[in-house]
Amino acid sequence: MNLMAAAVAILGVMPSALGEGIVCAHVVDGMSRNPEMYSKLRTTMILACALVETTAIYSLLISILILFGIGK
Amino acid sequence: MFENFLKFDIPGEVISSLLVMLIVVLLAIYIGIRAHFQNPLKKPKGLLHIAEIGVSYFDNFVKDITGTALPNFGGFIMGVACYLFLAFIFGLTGLPSPVTYMAVPLSLGLLTFLLIHIISARFTKIRYFKRYIDPMPVFLPVNLLSMWAPLLSLTLRLFGNAIAGWALLTIVEVGLRDASAAIFSAVPAGWNEIFLAPIPLALLHAYFDLFSGLIQTIVFISLTAIFIGQEIPEELNISPLQERRKTT
Repeated sequence: MNLMAAAVAILGVMPSALGEGIVCAHVVDGMSRNPEMYSKLRTTMILACALVETTAIYSLLISILILFGIGK
Repeated sequence: MFENFLKFDIPGEVISSLLVMLIVVLLAIYIGIRAHFQNPLKKPKGLLHIAEIGVSYFDNFVKDITGTALPNFGGFIMGVACYLFLAFIFGLTGLPSPVTYMAVPLSLGLLTFLLIHIISARFTKIRYFKRYIDPMPVFLPVNLLSMWAPLLSLTLRLFGNAIAGWALLTIVEVGLRDASAAIFSAVPAGWNEIFLAPIPLALLHAYFDLFSGLIQTIVFISLTAIFIGQEIPEELNISPLQERRKTT
């Protein structure tokens, strides 16, 4: 039952991966349109990716807690 | 009477956190002494040069986000950034990384949370309490709940990143150890577990400790500066351009 719960909890990483893909796609768009912004856009992209990742990390945390922490 | 004196049950993560603090404090004292005795007309060398680059970087970083209302805020941000980055890469030494213990990111989040409220109260005085009834008094319970959101998100972001990296590394480590023991079973026991792990684990450590630590440090200090910059009222926030116009 714990394994099932962890598997369901980890499903929350899916939209986060989609969001990260959207961020990267738009940044590549912007880079190709005006290449002199390359370094600024890269920094912002890494920051935005880390922010988008947060939700994925929440679900990972919850599933790790279910697996190792609670219910033992 | 004293046999149980000094017998604390301190987790290893707290001890390594204290070690990281010791490193940061000793570095700061050393650089401070060298900066004190440095001739300002000569070029700085070595560690002092790196420290000067860091200080000017963090001062500019803070000035870009929070404006000039908090002149000494760059020092706080630089201290937190040094501590956090060293704490993230402290796992590379083999000792437990401080960030994988919930109390350490919680203290860092609490620091930001308290600073948000103290700075808001300092700049807005009695109007500070207006933030709890922001559009209208009906929103009081909602605002009382949502005031904890920065604390939770900062804490869980740091802790989640660190614990995710730690869990993944442990899983890979155990898997590679068993695989190596199964493949090189001709080697005597105890020595047949060490062949597969070193190279993949080095790459994973480089990603999860160095890269992820750097990114999370940048995210943490950016969010801290942004949250605190929001609390400063507009009229106090003089941009560098306006300041230049005023003086000339």
